[in-house]
Amino acid sequence: MTHTATAPSLKMGIPIPNGKLGMWLFLGTEIMFFTAFIGTYIVMRMGSRGWPTDTHVTHINIALGGTNTFVLILSSYFVVLAHDCLLNKQFAKAWRWMLFTLILGFVFLGIKGVEYAGKFDHDILPGHIPENNRQAMDKVVNQFEKLVDKRLAAAVPSKAVREDQRAVVEESIKTLSEKSDRSKADDAKLEEYKALSQLIGKFSDLKAHVRADLSLDVPYEEFEKNRKADEEALAKNQKKEIPIAKYPPITLEQVNGDVKHILADKELGPLASGLTESHPILYGNLFASNYFLMTGFHAIHVIVGLLMFILVLMKGSRLAVKDAVLVENIGLYWHFVDLVWIFLFPLLYII
Amino acid sequence: MSDHEHHESHGAAYFRVFVALCIFTLVSVVADVVHLPNKILLGGIVLAVAVAKALCVMMFFMHLKFERAWKYLLLAPTIIIAMALPLSLRPDIGETYYTPDVQQLRDYDEQQTHAGDHGAAEHH
Repeated sequence: MTHTATAPSLKMGIPIPNGKLGMWLFLGTEIMFFTAFIGTYIVMRMGSRGWPTDTHVTHINIALGGTNTFVLILSSYFVVLAHDCLLNKQFAKAWRWMLFTLILGFVFLGIKGVEYAGKFDHDILPGHIPENNRQAMDKVVNQFEKLVDKRLAAAVPSKAVREDQRAVVEESIKTLSEKSDRSKADDAKLEEYKALSQLIGKFSDLKAHVRADLSLDVPYEEFEKNRKADEEALAKNQKKEIPIAKYPPITLEQVNGDVKHILADKELGPLASGLTESHPILYGNLFASNYFLMTGFHAIHVIVGLLMFILVLMKGSRLAVKDAVLVENIGLYWHFVDLVWIFLFPLLYII
Repeated sequence: MSDHEHHESHGAAYFRVFVALCIFTLVSVVADVVHLPNKILLGGIVLAVAVAKALCVMMFFMHLKFERAWKYLLLAPTIIIAMALPLSLRPDIGETYYTPDVQQLRDYDEQQTHAGDHGAAEHH
């Protein structure tokens, strides 16, 4: 004997309520939906030798992931208790179990939010991650450029182009230093402009070196002088090959070291806040893409589940045995959400 | 048509399933924290645990153990497609039959040869 008490007369089809069948069909499609992403992740990883697995690099927090797993399992248990109580006509208890499930759902989203905030802080976002040293160096230069533009625009709002803004800053420094009776405000402005000018100088130097692939130990002027001499020599002696002087290339350590010095400097440090060292993560963008896609869609499903719980909880004291099928279906959906997380947790956090 | 007039509570059984799920989760986490040298073994343990947990949730919480044959009708096509997708994509990007020459592999080789002095993948 099964659980259904109705004696089936000449009824066609599967002996479960329509709602339950509908929910199961939907869950079937959801299984395919999520296995598409999980399968793609697995296949991408198989094809990528050097996928980042170090959790300090990917900023994957297994403690938070494990806590989330426990939270979802507990919430699944509570939902099943709610349905059980409902069938036993203990409506108040059932309502309370569902409320706890709702709360646990929000706890899950909160922990996910904390994890996402960490990723945003470290710029672990698809398309933002440099994958080799050259990209990392270019990223530092681009970040620096944006920072310089921002500071210049704040200091000289009247001008629009960087060269004009720089010119204004240099001019101001000249006039202010030559001024004999500087006020406190003038002094402060002079200091501010001097620091800004110094920062811009450092930026230009770093950018020139990175673009020319020149070690920071070699002054850029020397490199430029010799390069011009080489080009002239080559132009004069068209047939003979003049060996172009070779300089040591720039390395990521030098660039990051430069950034560290700037941030540690007393005057430049505060001005350069927002500048960070850059470390490449091979396949980092693919990793971030997969991570956000899978956990993002899962989080959306959690939110939808929570909305359904809210709808049922709004019935309040009107909860009755006829709601058993509804509660069971919502429970089925929630268990599915739990199931997906059960697979996401090892795949993303452990392996 | 009467509906569950005296429905026996299954609370105790559900609790046992919950405890089993907690134990499985713990096994997963411990397997990771212990830093097993063999990554394939870790993968095997962790995925086996995931499947066990999934079965617990599906069979008992989702009540599939006590449902009738329609469950196969629903789940068979979905499982087939779920398996088919990674299997069919694997030959496309999951493996190669030739020696590829892409930027990422060149970066990976460079990373391997300079694993010590670059510190490319290290952080702080």
